[in-house]
Amino acid sequence: MTKLKAWFKTIIFYEILVGMKATLSHLLHYKPITLQYPHEKRALPDNYRGMLALLRYDDGTEKCVGCDLCEAACPSRVIRVVSAEVPGEPTKRYSKEYYMDMTRCLFCGMCVDACPVDALGMTREFEWAVYDKRQLHLNKEQLLAIGDRSFPVREKRLELQHPNVAFFNVSFGHVPQKPN
Amino acid sequence: MPESKTDSVRLTIDGIPVTVPKGTLVIEAARRVGVMIPHFCYHPKLKPDANCRMCLVEVEKMPKLQTSCSTVATEGMAVRTATTVVNDAHKSVLEFILANHPLDCPVCDQGGRCDLQDFSHQYTATASRFVETKRIFQKEYFSPLIETQMNRCVQCLRCVRYCDEVMDVKALAPAGRGTMTEIKTFGTHELDCEFCGGCVQICPVGAITSRLSMYEYRPWMLKRADTVCQFCGDGCQITVQTKDNELIEVNSEYGAGRNSGDLCARGFFGFRATGHPDRLTKPLIRRNGALVETTWEEALEYTAQQIARIKNAHGAQAFGGLISGRCTNEELYLFQKFMRLAIGTNNLDSSARYGHMNGVQAMRRVQGTHRWTLSFEEIVQADVLLLVGTNVTETNPITGLKVKEAVKKRQARLFTIESIRPAIGTISNITNLVDQHVCALPTQFGGAVLALLKAVVESRLVDQRLQHESPDYVGAVTQALERLSWPELEAATGAARDTFVQMATGLAQGRRVVVLAGQELLRSAGGYGSCLLLLDLLLLTGKLTEPGCGFAPLAEENNDQGAVESGAVAELLPGGLDLANPEARARIARAWKADLPLAAGATLVEMIDRARSGLVKGMLIVGENPVGSLPTVVGAKEALQRLEFLVCQELFLTETASLAHVVLPAASSLEKAGTFTNQEGHVQAVRPAVDPIGESRPDWEILSALSVLLGTPLEYGDAKELLKEIRGVIPGYGLLGPAPIPPKVDRAAVERYLAGDYRRALAARYTLAGPADAAGGTTHLGLFQSLFHSGKLSTRSKGLLQIEAQAALRINPADAARLALADGDRVRLSNRRGEVTTTVKVLERVPEGSAWFPDHFGQDTAKLFECAIDPDTNVPAFRTASVSIAKIS
Ligand code: SF4
Ligand code: SF4
Ligand code: SF4
Ligand code: SF4
Ligand code: SF4
Ligand code: FES
Repeated sequence: MTKLKAWFKTIIFYEILVGMKATLSHLLHYKPITLQYPHEKRALPDNYRGMLALLRYDDGTEKCVGCDLCEAACPSRVIRVVSAEVPGEPTKRYSKEYYMDMTRCLFCGMCVDACPVDALGMTREFEWAVYDKRQLHLNKEQLLAIGDRSFPVREKRLELQHPNVAFFNVSFGHVPQKPN
Repeated sequence: MPESKTDSVRLTIDGIPVTVPKGTLVIEAARRVGVMIPHFCYHPKLKPDANCRMCLVEVEKMPKLQTSCSTVATEGMAVRTATTVVNDAHKSVLEFILANHPLDCPVCDQGGRCDLQDFSHQYTATASRFVETKRIFQKEYFSPLIETQMNRCVQCLRCVRYCDEVMDVKALAPAGRGTMTEIKTFGTHELDCEFCGGCVQICPVGAITSRLSMYEYRPWMLKRADTVCQFCGDGCQITVQTKDNELIEVNSEYGAGRNSGDLCARGFFGFRATGHPDRLTKPLIRRNGALVETTWEEALEYTAQQIARIKNAHGAQAFGGLISGRCTNEELYLFQKFMRLAIGTNNLDSSARYGHMNGVQAMRRVQGTHRWTLSFEEIVQADVLLLVGTNVTETNPITGLKVKEAVKKRQARLFTIESIRPAIGTISNITNLVDQHVCALPTQFGGAVLALLKAVVESRLVDQRLQHESPDYVGAVTQALERLSWPELEAATGAARDTFVQMATGLAQGRRVVVLAGQELLRSAGGYGSCLLLLDLLLLTGKLTEPGCGFAPLAEENNDQGAVESGAVAELLPGGLDLANPEARARIARAWKADLPLAAGATLVEMIDRARSGLVKGMLIVGENPVGSLPTVVGAKEALQRLEFLVCQELFLTETASLAHVVLPAASSLEKAGTFTNQEGHVQAVRPAVDPIGESRPDWEILSALSVLLGTPLEYGDAKELLKEIRGVIPGYGLLGPAPIPPKVDRAAVERYLAGDYRRALAARYTLAGPADAAGGTTHLGLFQSLFHSGKLSTRSKGLLQIEAQAALRINPADAARLALADGDRVRLSNRRGEVTTTVKVLERVPEGSAWFPDHFGQDTAKLFECAIDPDTNVPAFRTASVSIAKIS
């Protein structure tokens, strides 16, 4: 009996019909789903991982403390951080220079995860096609600008960043700048 | 490991059996079988303190958990390190520590190599049960080079204990109680100490970090190169950490090298000297009187052409060469080969001539070696130590640590003949640890040794066997000493007869007697004679040939010893062979397949004199700076100006290089490969940490290129090939093991000495030196080596300049009071030869009537000094003068 059933299914291409079911139903109830990009745009899901950006606190100061953890976390060596003491704010650390080579980024979001101060964000920007690859090599100012336009609501800056953190990256005016 | 059963115990760690020597701590026993017990306050260099409770373990039959860092392993002990109870204990200790920790790892320079981070990953939950506010310490400025962040401190006190136990500086102290304990400097001022960086290295967390490289790196970015410090003869192994070809920091691992991880300020903070913006990056050539940049091709071709011209017109003897003892062995060796073969003269010398040669020649004469017959281990294990003119803390800091270890940990007796007063100061003072101390002027070190010898002879402490075998020698020495009277000696040395008798008795009773002779002795007039006296002292007390005993002259420049052994001095061939010895010459000629020049060569000052008189017409100077180093009376500047051709290989445009016709940019030791030989005779590998700056090239490459252009090609593929050749010439040279194998005293040489060689100039060295300098003045001015500088190179180091930025005259508080002087006041120093002005710094360790001037900055003081040339070794002595000091208002 089962044999007979199998033989019958074979001659009517049953498996193929099952596989094609969705295709065939669309073929019958035809409704175009192409979006007329760039005139029409798709609604992006909330967890969309687009262009990376550097963020600021509400008072306009950069969040990044130059810890290089994003650089360490990035699997494709996109990021390069040059950290230093903030000029005029002894003992405070920041990224003097910050580069992202977006040609290599695979938008995995590891850097955002790694950042201890939430200084990195993934925006919903994706329209980054350029004629010259070098334009995808972004510096700190460019990344901050992306953050500024994508995240108008900024986090409040706290001296104590976390209830369990006593003191974090604070500057001390009475301490001289480090020798150079 | 000891053989006999009574010396060792057996125990088990987590079931693994292990046999360890008696007295081993459980934590160390565990390490032997690869079990790492977490710890903060334990460190193998320090005495157990057991204050952090991190290392708790379970020991069978003991009711409570034990701290493994203070529990001594006993027979049959069963230790468990990974039970639930132990784990819980570790967890709760960490939870307590983290209750107050700011968790600012992202901005902490220790992050990534922090013990607290590692243990937290291993043990702790991600959330804390503590809701209380964390402690916050008032931020205090600590120092320009060392940064503290006390909120991160785990209060293990390693830093405090290191500074006290190892360094003997005692600059740090815990203040406050319980969790509010904070590490501070003694007193309310910022840190003022030896800046050895030890506390930075030993702090298990990021509470003490280097401010010099603060925020410039993360540990995982660093590329390391294990190489050797370029600053002094101790030859410390350093790990140079670089990031993108930039020098970031220097450290040294526990157990690494001869220094076992300890460094001094020069090694730890001085590394950026070679990256100074003034570094020469292109060859310079003199055109219309000015040095202008040129290409390597032109510079080399012009140089070769000029050398050939001088050689053809005036003969090879019209050429001379000087090299610095900071070059690698390979370069020193190639330099002397170049001078002897490519040019054909023995007119060559190195900076070993400034003093190290005195010690070497004395050793060659009496004990037949050109090296120490001991190593640092023998210093540590000595039971009696005699230091003469070492100022060891400042000149050879790591040798100083070995002496401190011998005295503080092993209760050795320490005798010193130094120009230092015992006093508590900001840096350690070796004379604070002495049994007997003679505070004599450097000119009277010889006198003090004579007094010691007299005490030995008079107290009948002369070795019986020597008396029996060499009665002539003992008789001659005794006779010579009889001519000296005690009142005379006491007046000259300022010490009582009794002191010398005590010292002599101590020396004679000692079983492992080590005599260290320092720069101040080696570089003083009569330094050679004084070294011979010290060897006589060892001979007379029967110690010279005993195991564990010996004479150790300390080297100032990192490769002074290598310079001598590579033959980069006029009278010696590679391997310390005598140039005058036909057999030795034949051996080297065979190895080189070329004949050596016969005429004896001119040494440093002779060459300068010949340049002045026009006999020497061209010179090659590699890294040496005679104009900056020698006193004005020698007239090095005028002499070198008279040369038809002067070529310098240099890092910077020094006083000498600025007189040159061609200056070739050389690579520093951080940029090249090779070997250095430290003062013990230990050959150690130098490895490049960064690429040569600009177009600079290693000195050996330059010499090799010149030799090709001169038609005597001395070509090598790399420094290793050179080392291979050196090993062929000097069998067994530089086997690069973990420790040197010191040679034995050559009995034949000792017998030769005792049989009659001792008579040569016996009377001269058994005479009390008169008042050294009659240039007018009552104060004894001495050039001295500062702990924070070495030669002139270190004055280009940002880090070291933060500690000592300019020259200041050190004087005693009593003298300062007499002259109404305070720190920072301007004074005029004058004598018949000239006058200079400088600022004053009051230091308690300076003896009354003395004044010290650091030998590293501008050379204004050079005109105050006379230069005495040693008749035997041709060493110029110019480090003392008498001056008067007057305040300038
Ligand atoms: S998203 Fe991923 S690949 Fe892109 S920069 Fe961040 S870590 Fe690197
Ligand atoms: S991880 Fe965050 S704070 Fe650290 S360097 Fe990257 S962006 Fe800056
Ligand atoms: S750097 Fe100074 S405080 Fe630190 S261990 Fe060395 S001497 Fe002591
Ligand atoms: S500063 Fe470092 S070494 Fe010193 S007590 Fe604190 S944690 Fe220990
Ligand atoms: S200067 Fe001397 S003691 Fe100091 S780190 Fe260098 S080799 Fe060691
Ligand atoms: S390491 Fe044992 S108590 Fe600190």
